[in-house]
Amino acid sequence: MHIPDGYISPTSVAVTYAVALPLWVYGLKKLKKTLNEETLPLIGALSAISFVIMMFNIPIPGGTSGHAVGAVLIAILFGPWVGFISVSLVLLIQAVVFGDGGISTLAINSLSMAFAGSFCGYYMFELLKGKKYAPFVSGWFGIVCSACLISFVLGIQSIFWTHNGHPLYFPFDLKTAFVALVGSHMLFFGVAEGIFTQLVYGYIRGKKLSEVKHEA
Amino acid sequence: MRRKVFLILGILLALVPLGLLTESPAWGEWDNDYYQKVLGFVPEGIKNSFHHETFMSDYSLKGVNDVAGYYLSALVGLVLIYVLYFILMKIFRAKKDGKISV
Repeated sequence: MHIPDGYISPTSVAVTYAVALPLWVYGLKKLKKTLNEETLPLIGALSAISFVIMMFNIPIPGGTSGHAVGAVLIAILFGPWVGFISVSLVLLIQAVVFGDGGISTLAINSLSMAFAGSFCGYYMFELLKGKKYAPFVSGWFGIVCSACLISFVLGIQSIFWTHNGHPLYFPFDLKTAFVALVGSHMLFFGVAEGIFTQLVYGYIRGKKLSEVKHEA
Repeated sequence: MRRKVFLILGILLALVPLGLLTESPAWGEWDNDYYQKVLGFVPEGIKNSFHHETFMSDYSLKGVNDVAGYYLSALVGLVLIYVLYFILMKIFRAKKDGKISV
């Protein structure tokens, strides 16, 4: 889901940055309240887990691959704003240092993988609170929501921006993008995110859950 | 809890080369050749896009084998994440105290 540079129009870039900027500013204020000597090692490790889990490319039928994101785990442990900012930082490093995802598309990548993933996963978790399978469903739901937003933004490119009938940016239509991205995340990568969230959350929560402060 | 999280991070780090098992790209993250082959043309915006070469593009390092490059990338990512949080914490503190103390 890391959209590279050149895949969306300059207008889309401007709109996504205009939406993301105030959210980043607000999210950083939320992080400021949570980040201290106590929590930094933990938030750092969870962000590093998100970074590393995205390196586990899972091949699927059809010749493509994908990966879990790990945003929902951070969101249900530290709140959705911390999840959003943490994964945005991970995406920033991936874009700048590893060329994974574009710079102009950092806003849309953050809005989908970090923001939509964290918030949708977090609220699903709240909804199912107490249920044993809540982490699995939240993980699945969060990443599927990320895929919905990404496929929408990719899919509208060929509607609005064409030249002589040729698409200027991402060339496939909404339906194709939706089926490919949301479908693959519902069937495969969402399941991976769900299993990952369930296993890790179940393992680490233990009796010291009170250590974790919810900053929703 | 911290110990458990570090353990999981350690296990994932150790297993990270498993991510190299597939050559398949992610859907929507193709090389320009793909568009040439499938559409018969490369969309203008994609062809002329801003492209920055980084020294660790695609989680690999020139002259280093894939597995070692992947391990190195994961470690570089880990270190940079901590550096960023550390800097953020310093900035948050400085703002609160009205001065930067390093």
